[in-house]
This record gives sequence, C-alpha cells and structure tokens, in this order.
Amino acid sequence: MRTFGIVVAGHGTLPAALVATSELICGPVADIAAVGLQPTESPDHYAEGLRAAIGHDGRRVLVLCDLLGGTPFNVATAIARRSPRIVCVSGANLAMAVEAALADGDLDDALVERLLAVGRGGIVETERHRARRAS
Amino acid sequence: MSLRLVRIDDRLIHGQVVAVWLRALDAQRIVIVDDATARDGFLREVLTLAAPQGVPVEVHDVTTGAARCIELAGTPEPVIVLARSPRTILSLRQAGVPIDVVDLGGLGAGPGRRRLHKTISVSPDEVRELRELEQLGTRVQVQIVADDRPIPFRSLDSGK
Repeated sequence: MRTFGIVVAGHGTLPAALVATSELICGPVADIAAVGLQPTESPDHYAEGLRAAIGHDGRRVLVLCDLLGGTPFNVATAIARRSPRIVCVSGANLAMAVEAALADGDLDDALVERLLAVGRGGIVETERHRARRAS
Repeated sequence: MSLRLVRIDDRLIHGQVVAVWLRALDAQRIVIVDDATARDGFLREVLTLAAPQGVPVEVHDVTTGAARCIELAGTPEPVIVLARSPRTILSLRQAGVPIDVVDLGGLGAGPGRRRLHKTISVSPDEVRELRELEQLGTRVQVQIVADDRPIPFRSLDSGK
C-alpha cells in the first residue's frame, strides 16, 4: 500500500488530464489530486490551492510538476523547501505519474530516484532507440 | 546593447519566461532586480531553482542592479532583466541603465488596480511611473509572450 499522497501541479487542464489518464491506465488511484494554474490566477492564490491539496495531516506528499521554472513548480518548491515531508519533482510525464500511482510503501530516496529514471527513460526517438536496442 | 528583454512581471521567473522568452531570445542569463527579493535568502534560492541548467540567475537590489545592468548592457551576452514593478525600472532608468523598451509581462489585479490588458493591471502610481519612463525615452509596451504583437502602453492608457 502506498503511504504517501500525490498532487499533480501544473498549467491549465494538464494536471486533471494527467490524473484522469493515469486512472485510464491503472484504474482508480487513491489519494491523488490535481491542481491546475488558471491563466489569470496569482501565485499566492495558486499556493492556497496547492496547500489545501497537500493537506495538513502530516503524511508525506509527492508533488509532480509539469515545467521546471513554471509557477506551479516555483510555488511547490517554496512549500517543499520549508516542509521536508513534501517532495517536489518537475518534468512530470505519464510514465512517472503511473509509476507513482502504483508505488508501494514509502516516499523514500529509492522511489524518488526510480521516478526520475522512469521519467527520463521513456523519452526516446524511435530510430535512436532502435539503434541502441540493436547494439 | 545586450539587455535583450527588460520585463515587468510580478511573478518574476515563471513558465512564459523559461519556456518562451529564454528560447526566443537565446538569453543565457537572468538578472532580477528587486529590493525585497534581494533581502530574502529563501526567495532568492527558490528563484535560482526556477531557471534551467546553464542559465545563471542573479538577484540584485536596485542600487547594485543598476550598476550590473549598465555593465551587462555593454557586453554582447544576451540577458533578460526582470523586475516586479514599474517603480524599479524607473529607478534603473534614472540611474543611467540604457532601456530602449520595457515589456509589461504580468501585473496582477487587485483593489485600486485598473485592468489595462488581459493579465496586466496597474495602480495610479504605476501609470504615472510608466508615463515618466516614456518621457525619459523608454518605450513601454505589453507583450505577454514572444509571438504576441507588442501593444504600445500609450494606446491602452486612457489618460485617467
């Protein structure tokens, strides 16, 4: 059983779509939330929504952000730097979201490393990927 | 003249800046001029973490920022200068920083603030500061992302 929460933080409808699509792939996912930044939303207002989604119950939470340097990432980083129970990752993609959703156990270093590896590992170009597989 | 973009944006570094402007201008350095941020080690760190690998972020108060911008304007290195408020850019201009164009990229709405355009709202003080910048020869325009056609501030400023 996964012992930590997941919050997908990103621009517009991407977080909701990433959560919905993760559930399309792996079925209903417990303790996962999406917080999308709206076009005219201020960073302070977004921070309120993100804090509410993270919750105050003391459990660990993985925040998956869409874009390094974007407002969702900046706000999540500011929260995570002050709260060691929050882990903030950027560059979230579907492979990472599914890996996180299906994770068992704690949000420890090994899992964070695995998420980063899975996210990067799924980024290939077919011909280069084929050449590497063949060699 | 290498201050490729001088932008007023109360979010400073965010998605439009890292995903669009850095690429459009091939900028290799971000210079933030903001007194409050320069005093706040935590905010400085968060902003430094917001930039992609290989793009250094400098945070200055207005005094050191003016000297730094004058220095960078004399080098060929492409630089983006970010400030939260028109007041800061006016101070830089008055301190001798060569700013031909300033871009209004994001100024949030709020009590006492008039909406100029989409995500750009201004207070009466900010309107005065922007007009003063124009009198000093700096063109003020709204351009949210690089593909937008720049809209002159004068055409949005109703004179109130």
